[in-house]
Amino acid sequence: MALIEIKNLTFTYNGAEEPALSDINLTVESGDFVLLFGESGCGKTTLLRLIKKQLRPSGTQKGEILFNGQPVENMDERASVSEIGYVMQDPENQTVTDKVWHELAFGLESLGEKTDVIRRRVAEICGFFGIGGWYGKKTSELSGGQKQLLSLASVMVMNPSVLILDEPTAQLDPIAASEFISSVKKINEELGVTVIVAEHRLEEVYPAASKVVLMDRAKIFMCDSPREVGRRLSEEEKPHKLSLGLPAAVRLFNELGGKGECPLTVNEGKKYISGNFRCAVKRLETEQPDVTGEKALEISGGYFRYERDLPDVLSGLDLTVYSNEILCILGANGAGKTTLLRVLSGVKRLYKGKYRVWGKKLKEYSGNSLYRGNIACLPQNPRNLFVKNTVRSDLYEVTKLLGLNKEDGEKEVDEVCRKTGIGRLCGSHPYDLSGGERQKAALAKILLMKPRILLLDEPTKGLDAYSKREFAEILHALKSEGKTVVIVTHDVEFAASYADRCAMFFDGQIVSEAGRVEFFATNSYYTTAAARMTRPMYENAVTVELAAELCRLNGRGGDEA
Amino acid sequence: MKYFDRLHPVSALAYFLSMLLIAMLTMHPVIISVCYLSGIIFCGMLTGYKNLLKSLAYSLPLTVIIAVTNPLFSHRGETILFFLNDNPVTQESILYGVFASLMLMSVFYWCKNYSAVMTSDKFIYLFGRIIPKLSLVLSLILAFIPKMKRKFREIDEAQKALGIYASKSYVDKIRSKMRVLSILLTDSLENSVETADSMRARGYGLKHRTSYALYRFGLSDGLFLAATLALAAADVVLIIFGASSFNFYPALSAVGFSALPCALYVCIALLGFMSFFAEVKENVLWRLLKSKI
Repeated sequence: MALIEIKNLTFTYNGAEEPALSDINLTVESGDFVLLFGESGCGKTTLLRLIKKQLRPSGTQKGEILFNGQPVENMDERASVSEIGYVMQDPENQTVTDKVWHELAFGLESLGEKTDVIRRRVAEICGFFGIGGWYGKKTSELSGGQKQLLSLASVMVMNPSVLILDEPTAQLDPIAASEFISSVKKINEELGVTVIVAEHRLEEVYPAASKVVLMDRAKIFMCDSPREVGRRLSEEEKPHKLSLGLPAAVRLFNELGGKGECPLTVNEGKKYISGNFRCAVKRLETEQPDVTGEKALEISGGYFRYERDLPDVLSGLDLTVYSNEILCILGANGAGKTTLLRVLSGVKRLYKGKYRVWGKKLKEYSGNSLYRGNIACLPQNPRNLFVKNTVRSDLYEVTKLLGLNKEDGEKEVDEVCRKTGIGRLCGSHPYDLSGGERQKAALAKILLMKPRILLLDEPTKGLDAYSKREFAEILHALKSEGKTVVIVTHDVEFAASYADRCAMFFDGQIVSEAGRVEFFATNSYYTTAAARMTRPMYENAVTVELAAELCRLNGRGGDEA
Repeated sequence: MKYFDRLHPVSALAYFLSMLLIAMLTMHPVIISVCYLSGIIFCGMLTGYKNLLKSLAYSLPLTVIIAVTNPLFSHRGETILFFLNDNPVTQESILYGVFASLMLMSVFYWCKNYSAVMTSDKFIYLFGRIIPKLSLVLSLILAFIPKMKRKFREIDEAQKALGIYASKSYVDKIRSKMRVLSILLTDSLENSVETADSMRARGYGLKHRTSYALYRFGLSDGLFLAATLALAAADVVLIIFGASSFNFYPALSAVGFSALPCALYVCIALLGFMSFFAEVKENVLWRLLKSKI
């Protein structure tokens, strides 16, 4: 008997016209690793929440969800709590207590376990995850990745037979995300726990999954093994929207028409290329970035620290941003990227060194002239910007504060809505938007300030591949209007696809900078999956598109041929 | 602080409460001196002697100021030393001031010791014994405060860099902070929905919730508690029987050295320095064990 069986499930939220899920059929066997994948808003979260009794949304359900042959809504409360573990997206919000030990014990306390039992189980789980060192720490001292691992551990401590994860790595940096995913893999492989995970970042999860479920507009579009899904997608007539988010190897396979077995990992991708394609042409000619423009921002010999006794976050930083370019500043977590952005936006000041905006010193910008029509900053969490109940009134409020009359204000709002393509979202509450939509609405808001320079902090965090592309298109449109964009990110794939120039930030300095292709082609570790996969056959195939182009140029053949 | 780190919160709490009680119970010079000395010595043990010196640099002048203030206002006492603005300054009122301020300082240092030992974990645990719900609420609040603080800073910066209210006028500054608070409130409400989900997903609201504690009440905790209670009880009884009778006014009475007062001094000294010696014992044991390795 299957562990979870979903039969003809249709679910409609109260008050909604369209069903959030329609006609879902899915069987999950014990020990499966199921990957749910689809655009934001396609019903993944609804589906996952319906499985856990405590989190079921209210609405009308047709069809049934069986857990061990029993409808989940009739499950014993206790059984549902302990048997089905659920980890959510935001590590901040799901850590509940102030101390790590208490967080770990929380679930067992609820279940009414005795102190001795809790002590033993917590000790075991600390050993399994290697988090014993945090036991006495405050949860507020942990990093995002550590918090998320703690959430996972505090669910696993209840010994669930199914683990449900809803975009667990969306808020994490790449390193923490891959650590988290390897813990999930370990749970699946070593403990035989069934895993159902919804994810956007597939490079690592995809090869590990035993079953991939593609969802599109409330329906299951495809459900098969990872290799089969890769193969079947390549047989689609025109490339499917969802294939954008797949691992580099699978996408390359798709782009090239897909013959033979679909590669999943970088390593397999490498073998696929060397086995199937010649490599006479090593590199593509790429255009060099234009650095002749006016200097929009310029820091020379910049030093910054938060307090006298703390170490320098920026030490001897030299950075020039030219007008009308998209510059991505990359760097590891905690390297001080956000601090750099704070300095660039003028919220924090250098204690040594020069910072010029359009050739003028910061001091020469009196009052808020630095911000009006000049620099605008999009914070990491766009929710920090919204004040009103609807997107439109929120945007309109800005125009009022800027002193525009009603007519002009309306015009401005319409203009930015058109530019960012959020017209149809105007009536929604900013908090109800999906990650990508929210990012666009926030961008619209800062565009009302008519900035010449946009500073974006981690704009692709938690976005699916398709939303990223849409966002990048908006940025390119803005660039063609003459705006300058500085993005601070650790999303190498995004930078490689859409930036003009990339710079690497490390140890308080910019250690390397170059045009995007050259930048990622020279990096050996800190680079895209496509670059790692095509090396050493090709030299500068830093995106899947470039790799596919090179493969086509070279033609089929390869080692054997 | 190895010993007190491991000591069960109940024993530790009993100890600190007894010390505070005794420090405040009488104005007897010997008792106050013992409480004060044991308080600062233990404080040095807990926070390090360097930190103790730093804190003494502040507290000693304060002690002197308080001691000097008393004779300025109180002119009771027989032994007049000199006249200040035609007001008599007496030996008794100076000494009273000195001991009153020492009493204040010993309470201060014992409170400082209390807060160094009784971390939030222990505090919450003690409350959880009485009202289990409250201990969870406290834990939630303690987790919530740093989150709110960080959030506030983030939103403030985001709004500042948006440039709507970046001017220097005070009205604008207040309006901008109001905005930040309003966003903070909406955001926290929204987030707390998710926190509630996370709690429910882990079974919050099921019947028969237990509360897990880090602490186990062992033999040494029991011994320490028993010693504390016995000594404190003896002190209180002796004080009630008048072993601590001492008058500053109108003239200083003699410090008693008969059997009863001496028994009281010994008991209080034992109680006061018990904490210090417990830590010293721990250190010595460690050295001994280490030398054997």
